Parts: sequence; C-alpha cells; structure tokens
Amino acid sequence: MIFTVILILLAVFGAPLFTIIAASAMLGYVKEEIDLMAIIIEVIGISSLPFLSAIPLFTFAGYVLSESNAPARLVRLTRALLGWMSGGLALVALAACAFFTAFTGASGVTIIALGAILYPALQQDGYPDRFNLGLVTSAGSLGLLFAPSLPLILYGVISNVSIDDLFRAGILPGMLMLVLLSGYSMWVSRRNKQELRSFSFKELGGALRESIWELPLPIVVLGGIYSGFFAVSEAAAVTALYVLIVEVLILKEIKLSELPQVMRDSMLLVGGILIILGVSLASTNYMIDAGVPQRLLEYMSGFVSSPASFLFLLLIFLLILGAILDIFSAIVLVVPLILPIAAEYGINEVHLGIVFLASMQLGYLTPPVGLNLFIASYRFDKPIMHVYSATFPFLVILLLSVLIITYWPSLSLWLL
Amino acid sequence: MSGSVRDWIDRLERWGTAAENGVLVLLLTTMILLAVGQIILRLFFSIGFVWADELISLTVLWVAIVASVAAARSDRHLRIDALSHFVPEKYARIPRVIVDAFAAGMCMFLAWHAFRYIQLLVEYEDTVLTDVPAWIAFAVVPIAFALMAYRFMLLSGKGALRIFSGDDSAEEDPA
Repeated sequence: MIFTVILILLAVFGAPLFTIIAASAMLGYVKEEIDLMAIIIEVIGISSLPFLSAIPLFTFAGYVLSESNAPARLVRLTRALLGWMSGGLALVALAACAFFTAFTGASGVTIIALGAILYPALQQDGYPDRFNLGLVTSAGSLGLLFAPSLPLILYGVISNVSIDDLFRAGILPGMLMLVLLSGYSMWVSRRNKQELRSFSFKELGGALRESIWELPLPIVVLGGIYSGFFAVSEAAAVTALYVLIVEVLILKEIKLSELPQVMRDSMLLVGGILIILGVSLASTNYMIDAGVPQRLLEYMSGFVSSPASFLFLLLIFLLILGAILDIFSAIVLVVPLILPIAAEYGINEVHLGIVFLASMQLGYLTPPVGLNLFIASYRFDKPIMHVYSATFPFLVILLLSVLIITYWPSLSLWLL
Repeated sequence: MSGSVRDWIDRLERWGTAAENGVLVLLLTTMILLAVGQIILRLFFSIGFVWADELISLTVLWVAIVASVAAARSDRHLRIDALSHFVPEKYARIPRVIVDAFAAGMCMFLAWHAFRYIQLLVEYEDTVLTDVPAWIAFAVVPIAFALMAYRFMLLSGKGALRIFSGDDSAEEDPA
C-alpha cells in the first residue's frame, strides 16, 4: 500500500510513466515470487504483437506529411470544396483537421501543421477570435475515430479486436462529432457578414492539380484497408514508402539531409509509446493473474447492476483518466483491465473501444493537462486560461456526442 | 569543469545523437522496404518469406528500444506533465531531480534483469530467424536500459547542480 502511494506520488511529480509501470510490475512479481526477468521477457514480447509495425510506419508518414507543404494543399483543396457555404471556412478547418489527424495519429502535429494556416485565415474572414482559437484547438484531435488513426490501431493490438472492425465502427461516431461541431460553427458564423466566396471550378481544378500526388494516398490506403486488400501494417508500409517518394524525391519539399531528423522526431513519440506498451504487458499480466479485474467486478456489482449504469461509471472514469493521462498510455494500461468487466455487463468490445477513444479524445481538451490546450497556448501565444475558456463550448458539444456514442451502440456497430 | 573535458563530453553527446539517428534511419528504412517487398511478393508471385515477417517484428522491437534511448536523451518520455505547467520552473526542479533519479534506478534494475536474460539465452542457445543466436537479437535491450539509466542520472544530476548553484535560467532546449 505504502509503495503504491509512493509510486502515485512519483508519477504525479513527473516520473517517466514507463518507469512507474515497470516498478508496479516489479512489486507485483516480487509478491507473487516470480523471477523479475519475466518483466524483460514481456517487454521483448512486443515483437510478437500482430500489426505493430503499423505504429512506427504511420507515425513516420504523418511526420513527413506535416513537414512538407501537404497541409497547405489540403487546406486549399478543402476550401475549394466547402468554402462557398455559410460558415464555410470553419467547416474547412474541421474537415481538414479531422482528415489530417486520422493520417498522422494523434500527436498534436495537427494543431502545429494546420492550425498555423487555419487560425490566421479564420481571423481574416472575420470569425471571432475566441471561436477560432477554440475551433483550432479542439479540431486538433478530431480525426481520432477515423482510420488509420494510431489510437484505433493500438486499441486493436491490445484488445485483440479486429482492427478492420474498429476502422468501420469509428466512421459514424466520428461523423457525428464532425456534424455537431459543424452545426455549432454555422450557428456562430450566421452573423458573419463577410461576403461568401462563390464556388469556382477553376479554383477546384487548380487545387486538385496541386494535390495530384497526395490524392491517391487516401484512396489507396482507405480503399485498401476497407476492402481487405491490405492488412493495416501493409497499408502503413505502402503509405510510408509512397509519402517518402512523393515529398522527398518528386516534390523535393523535404531535403534528403533533413530526413534523419524527421525520422528521429517521429520515432521519439513511437519509442515513448512502445516502451510503455512493453512494461504494461508485464504489469497487466500480473494484475490479470492476481485477479484484479474479477475483484473490481465483484466490488462494482454491489452498486452497478445494469449495463447503462456501468457505462455511466465508465464514462466518468475515462473522463478523469483522460484529463491526467495521454491516450496511448491510457489504452495500454486500462483496456486489458476493463475489457473483461465490460464483457460481464454485455458491452460489445468494438463499441467499448469507440467509447474509450471518444472519451479519451476529450482528454486532449480537459484541464489541467490536456495536450491540445498547451500546444495551442504555445503555438498561438495565448494565455492558457484563455485557451481553456475558448475551448469550453467545443468541449461541451464533444461531451454531448460522447454521451450519444456511449448510449447508442448501434451507431458504432452499424457498419460492421 | 575544465575546457577539454567539456569538449570531450560534447563530442560524445554529438556522436551519441548521430549514432541513434543512424540506427533509426537504418531500421525504419529496412522495415519499410521489407514490408513493401513482402506485399509485392504476395501480390505478384503469391509467395512470402517467413523470415521477413519475423525480421519486421524484430525491427519494431529494435526501433522501440533505440527510440526509447533517443527519447531519454531528448527528454521526450511520456510523463504526467502537470507540475511544470502550474509551478514556477524554479520549484518544479526539485521533484524532477527526485523522479529522474528514480527513473535512473528503475532503468538500471531493468538493465540488470535484461542482462540476466541474455545470459540465459546464451546458455540455452536459443535462436531467432532460424539459426541466428537469440542473444544477438536481444543484446540491445540491456545496453539500451543502461544508456537510459545514464541519461536519467545525468538529467537528475544536472537538475541538482542547478538547484545548488541557484541558477534560475530556463533549461536549454535538449537536442
């Protein structure tokens, strides 16, 4: 007990999470009198997890894309498609960010790569500053539920749920979030007297021509994954190679000499995630052996009787979790423990995954430690309290959509 | 610290970073080429090599381990980073010295048990990729944890020095 308290204190004071998890595994193994070498065997065990190569490969491809001029081209293209509507630029921001986040995992690069273009553009078009800041901050994690986002892949790897099923399940809930935020944006911009641009085939043609090299990418990747032609790890390899050829060799927007730095930057995140994954395999193994899920279930069954009340409790837990832990650590640490409990309450494991990720998405925006809040505060040079309050209306809408996603399982399971 | 020692340490740091980058580039390129190669073989020749899949899996492990070392150098390991946002840097430094020392200890502990595991692999003559001794594939693990232990010790030591010398300046950006 005393050790647990010490570990929690160390974690709160900022010890690297993998050392905390390794320490808790160590304590468990000592108690069960298992050789501590077993921790290392579990860490090495990450090499036998299926599809795991998708994580470094997609992350790398995402970093290359965000370092090139692809974000600007994406904004231009989306603008040519949607910019003529009332509130069009806000819709452009939402759509482009969702798309970009899905392709780059969810590491905060969206705010940096796209926010820098969208934020001034929104301002120029006369949207209120608070709205723009909130929009760009919350859109930075919007594509989380769309294929091929890293959290979806990681959930699939950890839970043994088919990643293809998760990719299908995320579509409608992700759309729901987009639609609700778009509705809010149109309502806010109804007073915007800025003259609307008319739709122009010429501009659309120009934008299409400019993005000609990137256009095949979503078609090949998404088409390949959804048709079952590619496994997710294969799609990741194709994406990485294709992006490398296009941005480095054809468009030459990233110099060959800059490539090692881009590779390193992208792998820093991957190393951080995978080492936590490795030590978590050791700690959850112990916890499952020690019957922690069963004990949690017994404890909970005292006051939680229906699936609905279980989901409610889960939601509260996930919102708190999301406020203090990053999404990747949360997935590897918590999913193995709640999966068996959720199964007892008859919750579909694919639906559970979508609820889990949708709730954790809010964690990017909730004080005190929401990642997007700090990136936006840093990137746009605004005080953090200002970013909190600007993001608040968007947070409320996303919370509403998470409630709908949680209590309407068929929304997630429709396309399976 | 005398000038020549500092030069020597700086050089070591640069070489270290370059070595990490070099290995990461090599591993990532290998991973991409192997995986795409397997797809081409599958699509056009309906064949595939079992060893290639195993090698890709090992590459993922190596990337994870080497990138962890790099993340320790660049101070990018995932942490619950609440304190530094709300407490002035001067006060946030004290707990950082403690938690980094703890991290160094844990990494040393992991390095030791990884070393024991490697010894075991040598003893049992385990193999990977059909006939490569397994200890060669996994020897990077104890080395990596030892390097991380060194890195966290350095972070902790630097932090402690700054507290004792009363240096209030902000931390320089790590590489």
